[in-house]
Amino acid sequence: MTIPQSQQIGNVKHLVAVKNLKVHFQVTDRIVRAVDGVDFHVNPAECVGIVGESGSGKSTLVRAVSRLMPNLRVKELSGDVQFEGRDVLKMSEGDLRELRRSRGFSMIFQDPLGYLNPTHRVGRQIAEALSPHGNVQSDSQRVQSLLEEAGFQEPNNVARSFPHELSGGMRQRVMIAIALARDPKLLFADEPTTALDSTVQLQVLQTLYRLHKERNMAVVIITHDLGVVAELCDRVYVMQTGKVVETADSVDLFERPKHTYSARLVELSAHRSSFRGAQYE
Amino acid sequence: MANSTSISVSARLKSASDWGIAKVGSMMGTRHGAIGSTILLLLTVVAIVAPVVAPYHPLQQTAVSLAPPSSQFYFGTDNIGRDLFSLILYGARSSLMVGIGAALAALLIGGTIGIIAGYFRGPVEMVLMRIIELFQTLPVVMLVLCAVALFGSSFWLLIAAVALAIWPMEARLVYGQYIKLRERDFISAARVADFSTSHIIFREILPNAIQPVVVQVALDASVAILIEAGLGFLGLSDASMVSWGQLLFVAQDYMDSAWWMSVFPGAAICIAIIGLNLFADGVNEIVDPRSTRGMGGLQ
Amino acid sequence: MLRFILQRALYALPLILVIIVVMFTLLHLIPGDPVQALVGDYPVPPAYRQAIEEKYRLNDPFFVQVWNYVTAVLQGDFGYSYQNQRPVLGLILERAPRTILLASVGFAIAIPLGMTIGVITGTTRSATTDKVWTTSALVAYAIPAFWLGQLLVMFFALRLGWFPTQGIGPLVSRAHGFDWLLERARYLALPALAFAIHEGMRFARIMRASVIDTLSQGYIITARSKGLTRSQIISRHVLRNSSLPLVTIAGYAFGSALSGAVLLETVFTWPGLGLLMVDSIRLRDNLTVVGVVIFSAFAVILMNLLVDIFYALLDPRIRTGG
Repeated sequence: MTIPQSQQIGNVKHLVAVKNLKVHFQVTDRIVRAVDGVDFHVNPAECVGIVGESGSGKSTLVRAVSRLMPNLRVKELSGDVQFEGRDVLKMSEGDLRELRRSRGFSMIFQDPLGYLNPTHRVGRQIAEALSPHGNVQSDSQRVQSLLEEAGFQEPNNVARSFPHELSGGMRQRVMIAIALARDPKLLFADEPTTALDSTVQLQVLQTLYRLHKERNMAVVIITHDLGVVAELCDRVYVMQTGKVVETADSVDLFERPKHTYSARLVELSAHRSSFRGAQYE
Repeated sequence: MANSTSISVSARLKSASDWGIAKVGSMMGTRHGAIGSTILLLLTVVAIVAPVVAPYHPLQQTAVSLAPPSSQFYFGTDNIGRDLFSLILYGARSSLMVGIGAALAALLIGGTIGIIAGYFRGPVEMVLMRIIELFQTLPVVMLVLCAVALFGSSFWLLIAAVALAIWPMEARLVYGQYIKLRERDFISAARVADFSTSHIIFREILPNAIQPVVVQVALDASVAILIEAGLGFLGLSDASMVSWGQLLFVAQDYMDSAWWMSVFPGAAICIAIIGLNLFADGVNEIVDPRSTRGMGGLQ
Repeated sequence: MLRFILQRALYALPLILVIIVVMFTLLHLIPGDPVQALVGDYPVPPAYRQAIEEKYRLNDPFFVQVWNYVTAVLQGDFGYSYQNQRPVLGLILERAPRTILLASVGFAIAIPLGMTIGVITGTTRSATTDKVWTTSALVAYAIPAFWLGQLLVMFFALRLGWFPTQGIGPLVSRAHGFDWLLERARYLALPALAFAIHEGMRFARIMRASVIDTLSQGYIITARSKGLTRSQIISRHVLRNSSLPLVTIAGYAFGSALSGAVLLETVFTWPGLGLLMVDSIRLRDNLTVVGVVIFSAFAVILMNLLVDIFYALLDPRIRTGG
């Protein structure tokens, strides 16, 4: 049943193809339609941006696609999510683990401190991503090279640190190193720089872009900063209240936004960057 | 501007003052709340009407001692022939009175100290928090025991001693509520509108802090009942009042011949504690339907 | 780290002083003859009365008396138990090991029990398990420990005859080696069981809450995204991190258990500190009462100090001063 359907959904060339995805949560006695009928795809080695205000459902979208849902009561989860032609939503836990361990997808988050275990050293947490029975000693070579790839000058010191001993930007790099461990074809980055200082933001984004190019790794960046999209992404989805309101090449979006909401976002970001420019002058 | 401020403040006030009736209604809608309230209501009724419904006077010694449960003595009789069923009905009085009395006394002490610490900040806050910490470090039950040992065990001293043991929990809670609430918009609105300090405390903050406080008082009462039972079991409660713990104290010597002397008073204590905890759960649930934490704020 | 320990110790010291002063003040507040208040309700021979007055400087101002008492206690002089015809410290030191034995065995069962139940009920996805847990937790909370003790005695000791009803066993035992151990264990079994059930369920509640909290942390999502199995996630990321609060609370609880599980020791006539306390209260042997309270406060404070240090060792955020 899966093969003909996947061809129907679209191009098998798509790395990820999402059709009519709905994610509704039950919050107390209300139903929150976080994602409400979204179509979405990512091609191999492509960089895609998802923009929108907070609460527009962009995080939930990638959480659902990567099956890392938050701890809320899910009222409805439906639609079709395919990763290389396999239905992610219907996958068993075991198959899902298999996919995550073997060149599937990884994810980094907005607040790297909360997403690192405070009681384990960084090296151990990366080794664990390399193999479930990861051993810091035997994998130390690979841990080091991952940390180097994530932009650390002194990977040995970092591997021996605890997360709280690192700065915000360093923690996000550690998250990147963890995400790279299984050589994923796709990296979801959920507001990866929102919590960081502006100078550090730029460095982390540069690192992401370099890895995207060097590894031919597809990247999906969630952000509310259109500047980031303009710099890095090939294509962009604009989301509002659980729906995709516009999808375009990122250049087109800036020059000819079709949807009024996108136009407003572009306008806002222009204001912001001109203000920022004035600051730097 | 001034107008809209006063409107929002009075809107808050209104919603806070409706708390009583509307919430008690929805309380009965939650399963825990319904069971808990029923148990508490029943115990209260029993305590009040004990003289009417009890088949015997609690101190009346019948002809048969150590009689097992029967249709004549529902729960059997004790070593000197008193009817256990009647004793337990009367025992509800002292347990509930000590429980509720001590919880309210703890609310008074803890609430006052919490309010002062939370509202006035600065060195006052620091000193009071240190005192609260000190009391939480001490083996308080030991202290209660000691106080009762040194000064004897009248009913009022018992309430005071138990309240002394549990007030820090109340103080922490009230303090925490104040810290949280004093920063909220409607409090600053009240400040802008130039209300007096006492108005802000009693009319703005207090009604909004009432729900967690009700929960804590119920839990405190259950702790108080347990402590009172413990003191009774050690033979240190007010000898002139029948209490469940005291019945267990006597039962200790007759465990081999009269299981009913231990089983029924113990079960009565359990039921009271369960009632109070379910009641607290129910209050929690109506405010936050997701919180099914059980045991309310305990530990 | 060393600074942290010193800081904690400096914080504990005034606490001990405060307790000693409070206890002496309480003794002072007992209405009536101060000598009688110290000795208890016994006829005091005049010579002994004079000795007491001198020792506690009862004719000096209150502050002198306090200072005198504090220095005496700090040197280990808790006074003389007239009732027992022995120094109070000697009594305490004789009883303390038995209390420690009961508390240790009880905790050795209660902690693994509580952790296991807490992890199972905290990670379960079955509604039935959840319901069973909620009910049994509530009932366990509502049962007073001493009543649980009575029930255990009535069933296991009196009905089934498996265990002795009370006491700690013969003072002079004829058994040797393994038999001796077994004999002791039979006396210890019921009190330790009551202790373990009661504390174990409390620990389970704490552990469960802590596990649920840990499961909502971001690093659990990271672990899932690494492709770890459920049991790998639980054993590596949930267990240790959720044990931290339990370590603290169990440690504090052990401190107060050292001060004597007064009620349980009474049920089982286990001759530890708790029973000493109760007996002394009944005999109005006030110096012993106060001595036991000060000793237990000391034990609690010491345990709290140790727990703080241990916690710092377990949690790198504190250890490295983060």
